[in-house]
Amino acid sequence: MYIWLKQIRAMEKSKKPLSDRLPLYALIWVLSYVGSLGALKMLSLPEEFEVILTIVPALAFALFLYTFYRYVHLMDEVQIKIRMEAAVVAFSLALVTVMTLGLVDIAFKLNGEDWNFRFLAPMFMAYYLIGLVISKRKYNIDHEEHD
Amino acid sequence: MKNTIKVERAKKNWTQAELAEKIGVSRQAINSIEASKFVPSTVLALRMAKEFGASVESIFQLEETDLV
Repeated sequence: MYIWLKQIRAMEKSKKPLSDRLPLYALIWVLSYVGSLGALKMLSLPEEFEVILTIVPALAFALFLYTFYRYVHLMDEVQIKIRMEAAVVAFSLALVTVMTLGLVDIAFKLNGEDWNFRFLAPMFMAYYLIGLVISKRKYNIDHEEHD
Repeated sequence: MKNTIKVERAKKNWTQAELAEKIGVSRQAINSIEASKFVPSTVLALRMAKEFGASVESIFQLEETDLV
């Protein structure tokens, strides 16, 4: 954690382009989430430590989101529209997932080990990536015949 | 909406990447606009017209389906 903070501070000082920092912050967020998840599941820690572990991924995500928000200002209008549409696809799919799971839970009483909130985070990320693929195809972004 | 960006580029002998750099967008954005997949903002259309030394109307034209 301290090493990450040192690295983040060094990157902010180095004035590296946001496009370079963004993947690193995304990686920090994912690793902090997976790390916290693993630690909370496998280790028996004091309650204060568990609270810290639940907050760390949220802080890492906030840092990623803030950097992403700044990066959006550097994008052109096609890139912004692609991200916007990807977010719309992700939000819609996430809403349907939560709604369906809620109804299924009433009907069949979901087993906590089979289905719980932990599974939603990677699913929502996957939904955003699906949205990106759909939107990029729509706007011909990956089409390479260009000169 | 159809456009003549490809023709205008050919006249100037510019690649998509070169045009993209001149108007401050990505090469992919030019590709998308040129293929009529994306309708640019007024600012971008004007910037493009200025680079080509042409009017916006000569570069972008409405099609039958765009008319109300």
